[in-house]
Amino acid sequence: MLEFLLALLTTATVGALLVPLLRASARRTERLDSALAIYRDQLAEIERERAAGTLPEAEAAAARIEVERRILSAANTTDAAVHADSAGLHRFLPPALALVIPLLALGVYLQIGRPGLPAAPFSAPNSARGPAPHANPNEPMSIERLLAQARARLAEAPNDPDALSALGEAMVLEADGSVTPAAREAFDKALAGRPDDPRAQFYLGLHETQSGDSRAALARWQALEAKSPPDAPWLPMLRAEIARVAKAAGLPVPPSAAPSAPTGMPQPSRDQVEAMQNLDPAQRQQAIRSMVEGLDARMKESPDDRAGWLRLANAWKVLGENAKAADAYAKADALGAVDTRTLTDWAEAHVRQIAPGAAPPPDAVAVLQRLEKAEPRNALALFYLGAASFAAGDKPEALKRWKTLLSLLPADAPIRGMLEERIKSAE
Amino acid sequence: MSRRLLFLLPLVTLALMAGFFAWSLLAGRDPASIGSVLVGRPAPRLDVKALRDGEPPLTDGLLKTGKPTIVNFFASWCTPCLAEHPLFARLAERDGAVIIGIAWKNKPEEARAWLKRLGDPYKFAGADLEGRAGLDWGLSGVPETYLIDGQGIVRRHFRGPITERDVNETILPFLKGGK
Repeated sequence: MLEFLLALLTTATVGALLVPLLRASARRTERLDSALAIYRDQLAEIERERAAGTLPEAEAAAARIEVERRILSAANTTDAAVHADSAGLHRFLPPALALVIPLLALGVYLQIGRPGLPAAPFSAPNSARGPAPHANPNEPMSIERLLAQARARLAEAPNDPDALSALGEAMVLEADGSVTPAAREAFDKALAGRPDDPRAQFYLGLHETQSGDSRAALARWQALEAKSPPDAPWLPMLRAEIARVAKAAGLPVPPSAAPSAPTGMPQPSRDQVEAMQNLDPAQRQQAIRSMVEGLDARMKESPDDRAGWLRLANAWKVLGENAKAADAYAKADALGAVDTRTLTDWAEAHVRQIAPGAAPPPDAVAVLQRLEKAEPRNALALFYLGAASFAAGDKPEALKRWKTLLSLLPADAPIRGMLEERIKSAE
Repeated sequence: MSRRLLFLLPLVTLALMAGFFAWSLLAGRDPASIGSVLVGRPAPRLDVKALRDGEPPLTDGLLKTGKPTIVNFFASWCTPCLAEHPLFARLAERDGAVIIGIAWKNKPEEARAWLKRLGDPYKFAGADLEGRAGLDWGLSGVPETYLIDGQGIVRRHFRGPITERDVNETILPFLKGGK
C-alpha cells in the first residue's frame, strides 16, 4: 500500500515537472503569434486612420515603419531564443532528468531492494498462522516444523541421539542462535547416547564460547575436527567457526582453520555468511544455488580436480539436482575410483531420478552393481537391481535380491508391504 | 541574484548533513566510549517493581550488602542482550556472582518468557517498564551493565554488551577483589 502511494507521489511529481517543461517551447511560439497579432492590429488601425484622414500620410508611414521594425525584432529574438535552446541541452535535459532519475531509482531498488520482504511486525506471528502461503518444498524447513519433527521422533524413541541433537538445534534456531539451557540438556543427552555426535559437540562448543569459555570451545571443536572424516560436510563451517572464535577471543587461529581453504573451495567470507543469514529462505536457496553454479563453472575449467568434482556432486545432490550430481560423481570416478560411501551417494543420485515402479536405466545399473559388489547387503542396490532384473525378465534373480532385502529389513520398515507385493508379482 | 542563491540553500544543507553523517560513520567514533559520570560515585537510587511475581520490590539496600554486585539493564527485544546473556548465566552459575537484572522498557510478561527460554541468571529481577530507573542510572540504551562494590560505589559502567574479554579481564577480577 505504502509502495503504491509512494509510486503515485513520484508519478505526480514527475508529471508536475514535465508538463510545464514540455509546454515551455510551445508557449514561446504562441507568444510570437500573439505579438504578431497585436502588431497586425496596430497596422490595420494605422491604415484605417490614414484612410479616414485623421492621420497624415507622412506620420502614418513613420508609424507603419516603426511597427514593422518591431515585428522584425520580435521575430528575431524569438528565433534566436528557439535556436539557442534547440542547440543546447536546455530543451531536452530537464524533461530527460525528470524521467531518468525516478526510473534509475526504481531500477536500483529492484536490483538491490527486496520488495517481497514482509514488514517486520507481520512476519513474526507466522508461527501462529501456520506456514506462509508461499512455502514451497525447496525451502529449508521452518523452525516450528523442525521442532515438531524432532519431538515426534523423540516421542517414539526418547533417547535417539540424532533426534535429540535435531531438537537441540531447532531450539537454538528458535532462540536466534543462543544455546539455551533446554537445548544444552538435549545435546548432553544426545552425547550420553553417542559421545561423538558432531552436531551436539558443535553446539555445546558454541555454548562454551557464548558463555565466555572460548578456550574450551576451541578444544572441543578441534577434537571434533580431528575425528571428522576428511569430506564431512560440516568441516568447512566448523573450521570457519574455529577461526572466528579464536580471532574474537584473541587466541591463535589453528592452522587447519586458517583462511586458506585446503581443498580449493572458496570459503564464503564472514560478511557473506552474515549476508546469507539475513536472506529469507527462498533467497538463501538462490544464493546457495548460485555458489554451486560458480563451482560448476570452475570445474569446467579445471576438470582434473577430483576432490572438486566430489564436492560439486555433493552440492548438487543436496540441492536435489540428481542428474547433475550423478554426472559430477561420474567425472570424479573417472579420475580415480570412488569409495563405497561415495558410491552409495552416487547410486542414490541415480535412483532418485527413477519414476516409481520404473526400471533403472543402464548407467544407474552400472553404479548399483559396483555398489552391490562393494556391499552385498546394500538395500538400495538390492532393491533397484532386483527391479532391473525383473524388467529384464530375469525373475529368479529379482526374487533372490528382493528376498535377501526382505530378510534384512526390520519388521516395521514401511517399504515392507510394497516389497512383499512385488515379490508376489514376480513369483 | 540573492534570491537565486537562496535556492541553493537546500542543496548546501544536504551536502553539510551528508558530510556530517559520513564523518560520523567513517571516523571510527565509538558511541560506547562516552564514559560515565557514575564511576567512582555512589550508585543511583534503586527503586523498581519486581519482575517475577510475588517478590518484593528492588531497593537501595540490595546495593550495599558488603558484596560486589552486578546491575544489568536488559530487554527481551534487544539482540545484543541475547548475545551477552549466556555470559551472565555463567557468572551466576559458575562464579556465584550476585546479578540484579532490570528489564528496561520491556513488558514484564515478555521479559519473563525471555528469561524462561534462555535461563534466568538474576538473583533479583526488576521491571522498569517506563524507563524511570533508566533515567536515574543515566542509561543510553540496553544492554548496559554496572559493577558496584560492597559499599555501593559504581566501579565500572559498560555501555553495550559485555564480552568474554570483559568477563575475564574486568568482571572476574572485580568479583574476586571485592570479596
